[in-house]
Amino acid sequence: MNRFAYASPATVTEAAAATGLVAEAMVTFDESAVLKAGGIDLLDLLKLELLTPSVVVNLRAIKGLDAITQDAAGNVAIGAMATLSQVAEHPLVRGSYPALATAIAGAAGPQLRNVATLGGNLLQRPHCWYLRSPAHHCLRKGGGHCFAIHGENQYHAIFDNHACAIVHPSTAATALVALNAEVELHDAEGATRRLPLEDFFVGPDDDIQRENALRPREVLTAIHLRKPASGTRMAHLRQGEKAGFDWPLADVAVVLAIGPDGVCREASVVLGAAAPVPHRARAAEQALQGRHPGEAAAGDAARAALRGATPLSLNAYKLALFETLVRRAILAALA
Amino acid sequence: MNAPFEGIGASMKRKEDLRFISGHGHYVDDINRPGQLYAYIKRSDRAHAELRGIDTAAAKASAGVVAVYTSADLTGIGGLPCGWQIHNKDGSPMAEPAHPVLASGKVRHVGDPVAVVIAETKQQAKDAAEKLVVDYKDLPAVATVTDAVKPGAAQVHEGAAGNVCYDWEIGDKGAVDAAFAKAAKTVKLDLTNNRLIPNAMEPRAAIGEYDPTTGEHTLYTTSQNPHVIRLLMGAFVLQIPEHKLRVVAPDVGGGFGSKIYHYAEEAIVTWASGKLAQPVKWAAERNESFMSDAHGRDHVSTAELALAADGTFLALRVKTLCNMGAYLSTFAPAVPTYLYATLLAGVYKTPAIYAEVKAVFTNTVPVDAYRGAGRPEASFLLERLVDVAARDTGMDRVEIRRKNFIPKDAFPYQTPVALQYDSGDYVSTLDAAMKHADWAGFPARRAAAKAKGKLRGIGMSTYLEACGIAPSKVVGSLGARAGLYEVANIRVHPTGSVTVFTGTHSHGQGHETTMAQLVSDQLGVPFSQVEVVHGDTSKIPFGMGTYGSRSLAVGGSAMVKAMDKIITKGRKIAAHLLEAAVEDVEFKDGKFTVAGTDRSKTLSEIALTAYVPHNYPIEELEPGLDETAFYDPKNFTYPGGCHVCEVEIDAETGVVSVVNFTAVDDVGRVVNPMIVEGQVQGGVAQGIGQALLENAVYDQDGQLLSGSFMDYTMPRADNLPNIKVGTETTLCTHNPLGVKGCGEVGAIGSPPAVINAVVDALSDYGVRHLDMPASPQKIWSIIQGAPRMAAE
Repeated sequence: MNRFAYASPATVTEAAAATGLVAEAMVTFDESAVLKAGGIDLLDLLKLELLTPSVVVNLRAIKGLDAITQDAAGNVAIGAMATLSQVAEHPLVRGSYPALATAIAGAAGPQLRNVATLGGNLLQRPHCWYLRSPAHHCLRKGGGHCFAIHGENQYHAIFDNHACAIVHPSTAATALVALNAEVELHDAEGATRRLPLEDFFVGPDDDIQRENALRPREVLTAIHLRKPASGTRMAHLRQGEKAGFDWPLADVAVVLAIGPDGVCREASVVLGAAAPVPHRARAAEQALQGRHPGEAAAGDAARAALRGATPLSLNAYKLALFETLVRRAILAALA
Repeated sequence: MNAPFEGIGASMKRKEDLRFISGHGHYVDDINRPGQLYAYIKRSDRAHAELRGIDTAAAKASAGVVAVYTSADLTGIGGLPCGWQIHNKDGSPMAEPAHPVLASGKVRHVGDPVAVVIAETKQQAKDAAEKLVVDYKDLPAVATVTDAVKPGAAQVHEGAAGNVCYDWEIGDKGAVDAAFAKAAKTVKLDLTNNRLIPNAMEPRAAIGEYDPTTGEHTLYTTSQNPHVIRLLMGAFVLQIPEHKLRVVAPDVGGGFGSKIYHYAEEAIVTWASGKLAQPVKWAAERNESFMSDAHGRDHVSTAELALAADGTFLALRVKTLCNMGAYLSTFAPAVPTYLYATLLAGVYKTPAIYAEVKAVFTNTVPVDAYRGAGRPEASFLLERLVDVAARDTGMDRVEIRRKNFIPKDAFPYQTPVALQYDSGDYVSTLDAAMKHADWAGFPARRAAAKAKGKLRGIGMSTYLEACGIAPSKVVGSLGARAGLYEVANIRVHPTGSVTVFTGTHSHGQGHETTMAQLVSDQLGVPFSQVEVVHGDTSKIPFGMGTYGSRSLAVGGSAMVKAMDKIITKGRKIAAHLLEAAVEDVEFKDGKFTVAGTDRSKTLSEIALTAYVPHNYPIEELEPGLDETAFYDPKNFTYPGGCHVCEVEIDAETGVVSVVNFTAVDDVGRVVNPMIVEGQVQGGVAQGIGQALLENAVYDQDGQLLSGSFMDYTMPRADNLPNIKVGTETTLCTHNPLGVKGCGEVGAIGSPPAVINAVVDALSDYGVRHLDMPASPQKIWSIIQGAPRMAAE
């Protein structure tokens, strides 16, 4: 681990400014300044020297960033510094967004969830053993190629994997994209902007060296969730090699808006651990919309969800895994 | 009212746990010596490279740095020795390349130490190590045994042509070939035994200290066998005579074999502390454990079985390639030979067996004994092969086993592969396991699972292993460069309490309890009055340490022998005090009694007399009550048993759940049933880990991909069922306690039971075999390659 200065500002604006100590630096992928929320993934990255910042900017001293609130219209805002435990256990989340609570409750283990924050979880680096190996100078680290594409790729992407085959590691992100969440970003001038979470994540085709749209001198401060329409049903399912302390092999979030007539008005089907960013399965969503969802529709949607997948040499098993999880998640949402 | 029973057979709570669970365990890294410096080892990040130079100037100038050493500085230091020499088929000795303490000329695996930085703080040492500039010239690398033996493969050592360490054989090839030629049926199976990383909870650590006034070196180290480290490091590496070298292995947090071996860091801190005249501490970080602790297993084998028309086994032929890694670890050559191929008879009366074992160097971490060591590889091969034979010949898996068991009246039984089994009753463990596992009720459970869309399978292994290593003369003739006896010193103090000094070592097994029970039982001293001391060469006369489930069978037997001396002397003292003939004095329940009378003296009265010899046969008998015994075992012991595993597979995802596991083992006499149960459960957990989850993955260039807990899948509680443990006992016939050993049975018996169950669950898909770990990926591939079940 390298030596670094440690800043612990009291406000978000100061924090955003602190990350700009070195101009033109990207905050999350920066060699010079990084934000520290819970510090879980950051510590690993520092120990592996995948990050060698000159400044670590601590966000924990900023008051109020962990609030979970509901406005008069029933929309919910989750502060980026709310811990995973706080989010998963919060009555507003459990009541209105049970798929998010489930997705988070399956992440890591209890001790980590007590420290890890939702913002940090969304911004963690991908879990690819080539990316995390100091010995592999891969494309994402400025090297010449992706080792996974022709290597040990059993845990890697089955979609959008022709340049770099990382998968997005956050199960919370899977659920939040399915819930059409927005992120709130705060810059050093005190201005804020909001962006759908789905657009916030950046795939390797758009920029191989970044994983999100956070700009220099910008801090992720909150996640916004719209009040679910009546008749909304949802589920999140994961499958790992272990039930805890492990990244999923596959995870799926499904959010369905069912009308009074039993017809599916809107459907969100999102796959995690499938692609470099949470993967929205549009064909699956179309297979559900306008239908009375049940076994048949779920099966059609599950098959549609995997259409266009480009599995690598060792990960075609994920197709069956995802197909099963999508079908089961739809049925679980309806149950 | 009688005192509560505390002797052999009582489930006494573990004495040592009070300090462990209350945070008072004292491990090497808890020890800090005055003026202590910290060492950080710079390790190779290349699998194979020429080491053209190391620029140490910047590191030496770094804050707090006291010294930087490379191999050039280690003048007069020997390489790390190998403790076992195997001979090739042609009688020539194995290739035994030098294993330098710090890499010299070349680096041969990721993790190979290239330099050491010693500084005032650990962080300063680590910071300075980053300033070392190592000039590597990369060389092609090989990571797998199959690649290493290909023509044109990169050569790991100049002295090992074709990367072969040895090409060894055992058994009667002619008899086996003849049996195959006339066999009614033959069965062939290719299988691999996956490479594992031990992952003891406590990473390795070592502190060297030198006292210039006495010239004595002390090494505190995370070792399973401090006397062996003293012997190897003193005699072969640093040339320090034993009387000037003390090795202390305090509380050690798990070993599973990985802490048997003499490692470079032990020599480095001992040497450097002498040179600097200041204590030097090194403690591994977890990522160093992954790349420097000896790994386990890593075999690729072909097994063939010849059968008569009725299913009787006629002959077994086995060909195995095994991975030694980049250098020979201390006992590595013995593992795939005398701890593996000699076990290939298993519990079966197969009359002819022939095995060829080729050990191969690769650019990977050295491989050595890991919980079970050779025997899990043998049991996996054999118990898979027997299941496949049943399948291929249409016989019942249980009946084919029963038919070929060595019957219980056949002992002692000489196998065709060197070992002579002393006792066993394989039918009794099989019957008990089937009963506890409700084997008969399985079809109903399978049908119920199928109704839920799950594939349910049941599998068993009827395994055997060899423990209590081992008769010195025998192992000497097989290439061991050490005797394998054990030593006990029993000290009865003047007031009657007892200290037991044992050459074995406890690193989680509960010896302080089991051995105290044993001594309490035999000497009639309360359990609370017996203290067991291990792990310090300055306190314990000698010892060979703990591995191969030997502590009770060999170490406990040495205690019995020492206690016999105590009792013999006590009878003489009692005879004097009671004015009786020695032959009339009996010893029972802690009392010396004149036969047929009520005249007696307690052991504590005898002890007091021995130390205060006012009324004492001083002309014939020395004062004191303190005896030492060396016990050399007459044979191995042969624990065995039957493990039954039941799994459910989600056919849609390929995920396996172990739903039931039953282990019925014959470990000989049981001293503490609770500890035996815990040992078996721990071993089964590691076996299930190997069967379903664990795998050391190297890329083709020799980089360890699964080099952290993020990527190396250790089993957790949710991967394990409630493990039912039973014992069926036949006594070992050649040691005084009748004990066999229980430390490894779980890891040896369980992997084939799990895979047999998985294969059974997939029987509708025509699956014949799959290699470990049985990941969803592998199961999916199998299901894909097979015709779908008729009913979905």
